[in-house]
Formats: sequence, structure tokens, C-alpha cells
Amino acid sequence: MAAPYEAIVIGGGHNGLVCAAYLARAGKRVLVLEQRDRIGGAAVSEQLFPGFTFSVFSYVVSLLRPEIIRDLELPRHGLHVLPLESTLTPLPNGDYLAQWNDHDQNRRELARHSLRDAEAYDEFGRLMHLMSRAIKPILGMPPPDPASLLPRDLMGMGRLGKYFRDLGAERFHALHKLLTMSSADYLDEWFETEALKATKSASGIIGALLGPRSPGSAYVLLHHYMGELDGVFRAWGFAKGGNGSVSTAIAAAAMSFGATIRTNAPVSQVLIKNGRAVGVVLNDGEELRAPITISGADPRRTFMQFVGAQHLPNELVDGIRRFRFRGTSAKVNLALSEAPNFTCMPGVGAHLRGAISISPSVDYLERAYDDAKYGEFSRRPYMDIILPSMIDPGMAPPGQHVMSIFAQYAPYDLKGGWTDAKRAAFGDTVIDTLSEYAPNLKTSILHRQVITPPDIERMIGLTEGNIFQGELSLQQMFFLRPIPAWARYATPIEGLYQCGAGTHPGGGVMGASGRNAALTILGKMK
Amino acid sequence: MSAPIVVIGGGVDALVAAHWLARAGESVTMIDERGQVPSSTSGWIPPEVIRRLDLAAHGLVIGAPDPWLSAPLPNGGRLDLWRDSARTANAMRALSAPDADRWPAFCEQMREHAAVLAALYSAPAPDVMTRDWRELLHVAKIALRTRRLGRARLESFLRLVPMSIADLLDDWFESDLLKGVLGAAGVMHLHQGPRSGGTALAFLHHHVGNAPGVFRPSHSNIEAVLARCSGVDRRANVRIQQIDVQAGRVTGVTLVDGTHIAATLVVSAASPWQTLLDWVDAAWLEPDAIRAIRNIRARGVVAHVVLTLDRAPGFAALAIAPSLDYLERAYDDAKYRRISHAPLIEARYVAPSGADATHAVIVQMQFAPYLLAEGSWDASRKQALVDTVIAAVANHLPRDAILSTQCVSPADAATDDGFPAGQAHHAELALDQFLWMRPTPSLARYRTMIGGLYLCGPAMHPGAGTAGASGMLAAQTVLGDRGQQR
Repeated sequence: MAAPYEAIVIGGGHNGLVCAAYLARAGKRVLVLEQRDRIGGAAVSEQLFPGFTFSVFSYVVSLLRPEIIRDLELPRHGLHVLPLESTLTPLPNGDYLAQWNDHDQNRRELARHSLRDAEAYDEFGRLMHLMSRAIKPILGMPPPDPASLLPRDLMGMGRLGKYFRDLGAERFHALHKLLTMSSADYLDEWFETEALKATKSASGIIGALLGPRSPGSAYVLLHHYMGELDGVFRAWGFAKGGNGSVSTAIAAAAMSFGATIRTNAPVSQVLIKNGRAVGVVLNDGEELRAPITISGADPRRTFMQFVGAQHLPNELVDGIRRFRFRGTSAKVNLALSEAPNFTCMPGVGAHLRGAISISPSVDYLERAYDDAKYGEFSRRPYMDIILPSMIDPGMAPPGQHVMSIFAQYAPYDLKGGWTDAKRAAFGDTVIDTLSEYAPNLKTSILHRQVITPPDIERMIGLTEGNIFQGELSLQQMFFLRPIPAWARYATPIEGLYQCGAGTHPGGGVMGASGRNAALTILGKMK
Repeated sequence: MSAPIVVIGGGVDALVAAHWLARAGESVTMIDERGQVPSSTSGWIPPEVIRRLDLAAHGLVIGAPDPWLSAPLPNGGRLDLWRDSARTANAMRALSAPDADRWPAFCEQMREHAAVLAALYSAPAPDVMTRDWRELLHVAKIALRTRRLGRARLESFLRLVPMSIADLLDDWFESDLLKGVLGAAGVMHLHQGPRSGGTALAFLHHHVGNAPGVFRPSHSNIEAVLARCSGVDRRANVRIQQIDVQAGRVTGVTLVDGTHIAATLVVSAASPWQTLLDWVDAAWLEPDAIRAIRNIRARGVVAHVVLTLDRAPGFAALAIAPSLDYLERAYDDAKYRRISHAPLIEARYVAPSGADATHAVIVQMQFAPYLLAEGSWDASRKQALVDTVIAAVANHLPRDAILSTQCVSPADAATDDGFPAGQAHHAELALDQFLWMRPTPSLARYRTMIGGLYLCGPAMHPGAGTAGASGMLAAQTVLGDRGQQR
């Protein structure tokens, strides 16, 4: 009797779901296994407190590849993205810096701080736009293996070489700088307003144990602009109903193509017979068989937990041991009785429908990083805040609000380890810091949830709580992600593939890893 | 007879360029703004330079102290790192047996990786964007040679390049002290801490040309040797007013005293900043070019303290860098424009030579940022720095042996040596200022936007603490261009 499934996907995160959807769309019988009671992984919406719905972990949409939205017809399956219109950076002196989507309004605001920066802003935007267009095709490409002599890889390297050369010298050199510089140094070449440099460079440190002055942080800046140029989304957006809507839309698409999704089905190991993956075993002992198994979990869980070192070559085990996670990002979710009232911009206005960034200066961010370097959480953390209920009133009871605070740094390897008291102390630090800018915050908190990197690891299985399934540093990117030679979604175990953010091109709710993996697998199944 | 060539600037690259050109039959005038030539120069000398300029016959001595480094142990003793890796491993065993076991393999891998760099440093940086088929052939050859390393070595090399030295050392070792003293080589002259990406490359860069298992640049008397060689008209202690340009081509150099030296070719080993922004009339440069030069990152972080002694100290080279965290905290201070309260210290013994009968210890102290958050590099601050240094080495160097002290701050280095912001490397060694990006893409091949004006020196590939390589490559470029014109 033929196995009921042709492919089993471990993990119902967005990449696993995207991979399953593409396979099902190509007519394959696919089963997705999710350990939790709900799909989505780090892209979930949950009603944590009666009436208050949260995007518990990831909270904005922007990087999701437009080809995925198109191919899977996600809007038809319920994805509706509302734009975030601004970024407000409150300053300790009572002033603020606001960045608006509206060009003229933005220019006026920048000119208030620096005429020179207002002039440079458009030129900067133009270059970043060109750069993100330049990097885009690379995201959708399984990386060629530079050490291989296979015609496929030689041609891949050749194509890549030609691609870079066709960019022209100016763009190639600009790309080289973006890939290697620190975000603070890169922005220093353009701007002089401290809050502008800090707020922009903050996007370079997200999810990383890096400061804005650490080389390598400039690349992540680019991600912000990739989101802005896709025709579908004008800017960073918020999924109606929370980020869980992204997952449920992808899942709906997958199911419409015939995929099966099982929740409460935690996998304990990949079943290996004669060096081949033949299926999985669940925690309760149930065996499920399929000729192809695809793991959406991060590389360490996939190889060390589901497969086991005894089945793997030493180089791979060493490589996984050296692959760095070091989660540093925490999340504080608040249910509020009223909207926060920012001293610098009082009242309820358009600024509350955008992002609020606590990043007054590059030194502020750098000091927050200094604490983390030596194993402490930041005494004055960097924060990226949104108020989903301001954009989508369905998220909270009328007049009340939900607030999503992304906070850094909260290092996984905290000195002395994370305890309940430490978690509470970190939550207090976040709220105290934010209260300096919005004094009514403290008295309006009805409920709070603080999620540290160890919590992320425990709740959704991301190793060391790294939100990108592994640091997005240069030495862990492209054909080095997660390890050289196994960066093309395949593994040394025949029939076993990887499709998580731990593979190229990596983190953010992007879906590209899932799609690239599916296309690679379909190419082999033919 | 061919038109004269003027070589500007002191330093080893200017000397090598001048003598290389003179050997090729050019008439060369060298304008050295410095008064005297240092007796010791650090960095890798390409074998071609030694051969072509007959340096061995002229008395070149490359120092090889053994142990090449000593580091104080927390309990009072010292860890000695020897040129013989087995002996080093033996010395390390007391600190950590696993580290001692890994030492030979680490040394071997770093030797292999540094050999890749040495090959890259023996030719101009590959121009990957060129349409010239000869250059493309050169790029293809490099790619092929790199490929021949084999999978494991190629992958480990590519992974190493963007890494931080802390991550690299954490992959190999467990001893804080060992990681500290090795990590110090990765941040030397850099405004970076050991956790910053690109510092593993800097570590490897300074290993090029060194004996396996020796991770400090070697010192030689190359400048003194070249200054003694004949064939170049060398004018020392003169100040340059401007580089004269007509119709986009150099015509010579004018000195502060009004002297005009006519030349059809000028090779400058001064920084791109000084050469192009200070000495060339801005009217000859595009605004984009000016902006690119201003954006070259150069931030001085090193102060030197010279101690003269009445006796030899008990070490050849001493490093105070007890851990990676220690280095990182020293850098933290610099980040906020403060002098490190607990600095990285590298002390090197210089034995008496010739007429000079005193012993000396040259201390390189990091981090001493050029720009300070408060105050300036005045006499009292320099005295405080000297006191810090003396206190730090007190256990290894008796205070009563010190005859005199002298401090060269980054501000002094900027004024006296023309180092941009006191940065001896003119352009920091970083991935975005490396190979075809060094110091800017349009200047990377030693030619400038002014006809007949060339650059060499620390800012130019491979630069940054190598000795004479950029001088040689610039001279070869000049000769190649001359050959085409004829």
C-alpha cells in the first residue's frame, strides 16, 4: 500500500506552512505536524486576556515575499495588511523625531532637525531602494556551493558573478559596504541627526547580539527597505487580526490545495532506516511515514534532537555546534485601559497608528548592547512598540488597547540564569523606561506578559530564543547558512530537508526559506 | 633621460617605491617630511621586495624574539609563547590541557589561511568589476587558486573572514588568558573590540609572513637599511605646500619654503586625505570623490610610551590582555571617547644598538582615542597615561630602572606624522575598506583622478601594517603605465 503522504513537514510555523502549501499546490500529498495546539510558530495571534488579542511574538509584516502572496493568493485566504504610517522617536528632552510615510510631511519634520538630513533623505532612500532591488533575486535563489565542482554549482557561481557585475560598479560597491559595515558607520556617512541615525540603525541590531557600531549590522538595515518597495505593501504593515492571520492565511491556502495539518502533534524524532529518512515518530510513539521529511525547526533541533549526531558526519555536527543562536530579543505584551499619552506628542493621534521607537541616540543603543555583552539585560533597553488596537480596533475592547513591545537586549545567557524574578525585573525595566516618555502608562496596565529568550525557546522551540533561527551574521548567511555544503535545503540524510529560517535567506516573517525549499524538493521529485 | 619622479612621504612604502623606481632606471627625488628614520619597522615585507632591492646584502635584520610573547598569569607567573609550537603547547598545558592539544592544529590552520592572504597581497587588489580581459584573467586565477584549497579549508576561510576574533577563538580555546593575548592581535590599531565582526580578518592579516604559531607582527630595520641605500635623492625634514596640477596632470611639488620641484609623476605615501584634500586644489576633484575620501574611516586609538632603562627588562615582548572581556571593556571606553581605564598593553624591548647605549621599552597602549569626550591631549593627560602604563607593567619592570619617559599621543601622531586622526594605518583595516574597497573603490589601484599622481602607503592595499608591499605595487603600476605610454 502506498504511504498516505508523500511529504511530512515538521513544524507549522510560517515557513513550514509555505513549504507545505507549495508542495500541495504541485499536487503532493502533504502532512504538517505542529507541536502546539495552534499553528503559526512565532506568527500567532492569541487572546491572552479576555477581549485582548495579541501578536504574541512577531508583530509586523513586511518581508513576506510578494511572490508567495501572489502564488498562494493569500488575500483571498484572509490576509489583510494595514500600513503602519509613521515611526515616532520620543527624545529625553521632550522633543521627538517623527518619520512619516507622507513625503512632504516627512521632509518638513526632518528639516526641523537638520536641513542637510532632509536633503540627504531622498537620495538615501533611492540608493536603499536600488540596493534592495539588487539583493532581491538572491533571496529567492538556493545558494550555489562555492566548493563544489558540479556543473550546477559552477553555473550558479558563474550566474552570481555575472549578476554582481551587471549591477555596475557604483551599486556593487554600495552593496559591499552595506554587507560589511556597521549600521552606525553607514548612517554617519549620510546623516547628522542623532535620533534619525539611532532609529534607522536600530533596525540593524534586531535579533542580533550586535550593537549599532558592530560591523555586519548594516545589512539588516536593508531588510527595512525590502519591505517598503514591494508593490503589495507600501511600508511595514500590520496584519488585521494580528500576525496569526499570516499563518492562518497560508494554512488555508495549503489546505485548499489538499494539505493536511495536525496540531498537538509534537515530533520526537525523524525515523531513519538505512541512512534514509522514512518519516517521523511523535512524542506519544505514533509513527508516520513518508518518503520525504522536511523540518521547519531550527538547525540545532533538526539535527541534534530529531536526527541525532550518530547519523551525521562529524563536519556537520561540528558545524551545528559552531552555529550561533544567542537570542537577545524579548517581548512585553500589555493590555491597557487607555491609550498611552506621550509627553512629546500628547493625545491620541496618527502617531499611535505607527511604530514608536525608543532609540534616542546611537550611544543609547550601544550602551544597551554593552550590558548584554557582559551577560546583563539592558538597564535602558531599545524598544520598538506598536499599538495593534489603534490600527485594528478588534484587537481590544472599545476604548482599551493592546500594546506590543519588542525589547532588546535580554541575552539568553543571562549571568546567573533567568528566573521568574529576573523576568519580572526586566518587565519592570521596560515599563519604567517607557513611562519616562508616556507617564500614564503605568497606571493604565491591566495585564502584562513578559517573554524572554528562554521563554521563546520553551514556548515555540526556537533554540536559545533566537527569533531568526540563528544569528543573521555574515558568517552564517547565504551558502554558509546553516552550514556550508548543506545550505541548499538538503541534508546528508537522504529524504530529509530543511525549510526553516535557519536556512538561506533567513529570518523575518519572509517565507522565502519555505518557498525555496519546496521548489528545491519539487525539482528533485520530478 | 626620463622625467623625474617625486616620491612623497616618509615611511617604508615611500622608501620601497622610491628605490624600486630607481632600480628600474628612473630618476627619483624623495621628499620626506620627517627628520629621522626609525630604527625599527613592524610588518610583513614581501619576499619580492627583499629580493629585488637586495635587502639581505644591505644588512636587513628581521627580529625573531623567542618567546615571541609573554603574558602575566593571574597567580603571578608568566605564560611564554615560543616560536616552537610544541614548546608553546607545553607551556599552555598548565592553563588548559585541551587548549594545548588544539594549539598545533590552530597554528596550522591559521598558517594556511594567511597564505591565501599573502597571495592576495602580492598583487594589486583584484578588480572584480573590470571589463579588461587581462584583469579578468587575474581574477579568475585568484578564484581558481582559492578553489584549490579544497572544500574544508575554503569553507573555513570564507567563514572566518567576516567573523569576530572572539567568536573564532571561542571556537578553538577555553583559556581566557590565551584568548585575550591572541585576541589583542585582532584589534591592534582598530577602533573595534574583539567581538566586532572583521577582527578575525585583522588577526589573520597581521599573521601574514609570520612564522607559524607567531601572532605578532615582526620588526625589522628595513627603513634604516633603505635610507642608507644610494640611488635616490632623499630630502628630509622639508614641508610640502602643494602638489601642482595643470590641465588635470601633476607638474610637480611646491614646498613650504617656496621651492618648486618639477615632476611628471608623483607617488605619495601620505594619507589619501592629506595628499588629495590638503595638497591638491579641490577644483580638480569631483564632489563625490571628496565625499568618498572624507568617509574613509580612520580613528586613531593607540598611544606610544617609550621608556628608557638602565638595564634590560626581563622580557622581549609582554602583553597585558588577560581576557577577551578585558579587551572589550577597554574598547567600551574608546566608544564613548574615553581613554581605557584598563588598557591593552604591548611592551617590546629594544636592546641598545651602536652609539645608543640605553635599553628601551616601547609600549603600545590601546585604547587611547584621538577624539576625547572631555578635554584634549595635553601634557597632564599624557603624564597620566604614562603613569597608567608604568603601573601596569610594574610587576615586570622595576620602577627604579626607568631613566626617562616619553608619550606620543594620537594627537601627536596626527601632527607629527600626518596620520589622519592619529591612525597609523591611515584607513582602518575593515571588510568595507579591504581589497577593491581600499581605501575607496576609485583609488584602489594606486592611480588617482589626477594624471600622473599615484598613492601608496598604509591606506593602500595591502597596507595597514605591512612593510613595503603597497610601495612595491604602486611602483609596479607606475612602471606599467609608463611602459604603455612609451
